Amino acid sequence: MNRLVGFVLAVVVVLVLAIGVISAVVIVRGGGGGGEEEQQTQATKAATAEGGGETGGKSTGELRLPGSDPITLDPALAADAASATYIVEIFGGLVTIDPKLNIVPDIAKELPTRENGGIVNNPDGTVSYTFHLRDDVVFHNTSRLVTAGDFKYSMERALNPHTASTVAEAYLGDIVGAKDMARGRAEEVRGIEVVDDFTLKLTIDAPKPYFLAKLTYPTAFVVDQQQVEANPRNWSRKPNGTGPYKMREWSLGEQITLEANDRYHLGKPSVKTVTFLLAGGSVLTMYENNEIDVAGVGITDIDRVQDPTSNLNAEYVTGDDLSISYIGFNTQVEPFNDPKVRQAFAHAIDREKIAKVVLKDMLRVAQGVMMSGLPGYNPQSKALSFDPEMASQLLKESKYGGPDGLPTVTITEVGGGANVGFDTQAMVEMWKENLGVDVQIEQTEAATFFEDLDSGRLQMFVTGWIMDYPDPEDVLDVHFYSQSRLNNTRYSNPALDALLEQARTEQDVNRRMSLYQQAEQIVIEDAVWVPLYNGRDHALVKPYVKGFEFPPMVIPHLRYVTIEQ
Amino acid sequence: MQGILPYILRRLLWAPLILLAVSFIAFTITRFGPGDPISVAMGQFRDPEALARVRHEKGLDKPLLDQYRIYIWNVLHGDLGESLSHQGYSVSEVIFPKMWVSAQLGLVALIITFGVGIPVGILAALKQGSWMDPASISTFLFFQSVPVLVTVPVMLLVFVLKLHWLPTGGWEGILSKHIVIPALALSLPGIAGVARLMRATTLDVLKEDYVRTARAKGLREFTVVSQHVARNALLPMTTIIGISLVTLLEGAFFTETLLGLPGIGRLAFESVTSRDYDVILGLTLVLATAFIVANIVIDIAYTFIDPRVRYQRSAVT
Repeated sequence: MNRLVGFVLAVVVVLVLAIGVISAVVIVRGGGGGGEEEQQTQATKAATAEGGGETGGKSTGELRLPGSDPITLDPALAADAASATYIVEIFGGLVTIDPKLNIVPDIAKELPTRENGGIVNNPDGTVSYTFHLRDDVVFHNTSRLVTAGDFKYSMERALNPHTASTVAEAYLGDIVGAKDMARGRAEEVRGIEVVDDFTLKLTIDAPKPYFLAKLTYPTAFVVDQQQVEANPRNWSRKPNGTGPYKMREWSLGEQITLEANDRYHLGKPSVKTVTFLLAGGSVLTMYENNEIDVAGVGITDIDRVQDPTSNLNAEYVTGDDLSISYIGFNTQVEPFNDPKVRQAFAHAIDREKIAKVVLKDMLRVAQGVMMSGLPGYNPQSKALSFDPEMASQLLKESKYGGPDGLPTVTITEVGGGANVGFDTQAMVEMWKENLGVDVQIEQTEAATFFEDLDSGRLQMFVTGWIMDYPDPEDVLDVHFYSQSRLNNTRYSNPALDALLEQARTEQDVNRRMSLYQQAEQIVIEDAVWVPLYNGRDHALVKPYVKGFEFPPMVIPHLRYVTIEQ
Repeated sequence: MQGILPYILRRLLWAPLILLAVSFIAFTITRFGPGDPISVAMGQFRDPEALARVRHEKGLDKPLLDQYRIYIWNVLHGDLGESLSHQGYSVSEVIFPKMWVSAQLGLVALIITFGVGIPVGILAALKQGSWMDPASISTFLFFQSVPVLVTVPVMLLVFVLKLHWLPTGGWEGILSKHIVIPALALSLPGIAGVARLMRATTLDVLKEDYVRTARAKGLREFTVVSQHVARNALLPMTTIIGISLVTLLEGAFFTETLLGLPGIGRLAFESVTSRDYDVILGLTLVLATAFIVANIVIDIAYTFIDPRVRYQRSAVT
């Protein structure tokens, strides 16, 4: 008996040790992606005529992407990028944005302009847009034709307080009567008029050139009235839309499967099935194991991917997006109510160096508030330069007389508290070195951060902004107009306000953009924001996936993808 | 069974009071804490007026006690509320499928942990004094010391990327290859603890008179061990096993995140960061109920496993 026991124990110990040893050997032999793996892929290449790429694998005919669970699939409620990613493929509206960021017709036959009579100035100062709808747009599952009445229903539903949308008023609020409906003071929106089944007239309160751009956002999309009324609580789980893809299946937390809409009025998509894997996990490992076809690359993996000898390098793509990260100052509290202090802090950091060394050039240094690709972008714009002498000088000239006169300065960012953002650390060190100021770092998690930001409790903060629609009004007016509700720096400058008000209704495109550029200059020179970086996507895309453009904003792009078999 | 029925009844009567207290505390903390679910779901276009309107529409601006009263009323009718981070889904629809996945995974892990830990512990006790005793326990201590954040990526590297034996993650049900890595990651750390406990109780039992009697009677060692030693040594384990069954419902955040498993651990974490009030409360209530039930069941089980316990219980009553 004793020998049996001893034997069993010995076997167990040996087995466990063996697993450990084998693992160690396999890891060590495997190395950094060369050697054995190269031989394997060479063999795979030889064996299959078309073959997969360097990382092996053939296409399954369907596109498999990583994704996250949407908060909602109801276009009236969508306020986050994850939800919008699916919504723009499943639903459609009057107009949409193409991958080159042009506003193009979707369900409307053509864009209304002053030349074609689609845009008319009314005597009372309002402006009416007349949309002629296509007569061949049908809902996915019912084949019912989309009519102007459907648009009136959808937009009024979005504005209806019972729908509880936090964003409808922001994007549809320019329409006459929209604000009344949103506040429960009206049962319908006067500015939305059904002229006939295929003609819709929208009247806005002033001649605002950015109105068409705002209509590209999901709140203006059309939903199926019959579906919504039949099932008000659950309809968005299997929504009936008009977009290039229809929803086939959604298992919460696991996957969303989209299927091509063969009757899509702008052209049938090439890829029949797109599956988003929502459960997460190690995305890069899944890519290398051929479980997904596209993978985002983060800062911990960027070295490996950018290394030209790595087999991942051939599949590496980048794309610039319309986003900006920035430092904001609360201009209503000490010490940042003094512009010289703000300017001093701006001049004291070397963003180029941080971008290169700390961020490994993954992001572009921002030279202004507007970003490349946005109408109105000024390539000549220069943010306040790195100039440590000027920085100290400015601090001495400020009402505090130098670093010692300053109260405690705290910079707040979103985070878990485990480690500080690499770039924030670098900036804090630069402020210490170049200004002699010890900046305290505070990290709060997202929900707390935004509450503090909105209530004005933060002194100095790092955050970002992603463009919702391709118009400078969405970044300059929204953040710097003194009465704007998103003015998180609480900045008030009458000269800036005047420029922004004028730009809202300026009809000449060049003059309008020039106004915004002047506004941007004021913001930069007064150091209301310190622009940091513009976003850039880094990803791996399997070689058999063609046409997968990284759109600079969340816009429908899956129908441009093809898969080589 | 004279003492047991009133005992159970008393425990059951306490249950609703405990649940009420637990839910009230959770309710208050979530509402008073910073941030709110509408604001989180709002994205970057943060309009305070729109926020106020939607909060009003969802009843979040009512006085706290009113909100609580409405919530409890709904719960008593089987409605745990709506998820605000997964709009269109009720709290039950969000929680229970994920709990089921975590429970299945946890069960497999538990079977491995106890299935390996108990025999190893008994055998180590029998071999006390020889090198095999510390050697066997120490091997498993290694796994207890290495955190999941390390073991999972290593397993992914070895079994998935190098050997291509297993998939990267995801969930295809309890009988698929997807369960291997998570089950190993979750079960290996616990084996050492179980083995050591089992070893300790076995050593105690080996000193008992009835063991010596059994051996003196001339019984084969194998019978002595399996019939007399093991059964008695397993008694303290019952409590551990019982409580462990409840932890099945808690899931494992890191393992689920690293392996892309739609489990409850991740949901619990995410529901807190996104302030999904009703999901947080639903999770709290379900877990609290499970613990209460488990404790009662363990106590009842004891009266069956250990005849001595029954009499002690009625004496205490």
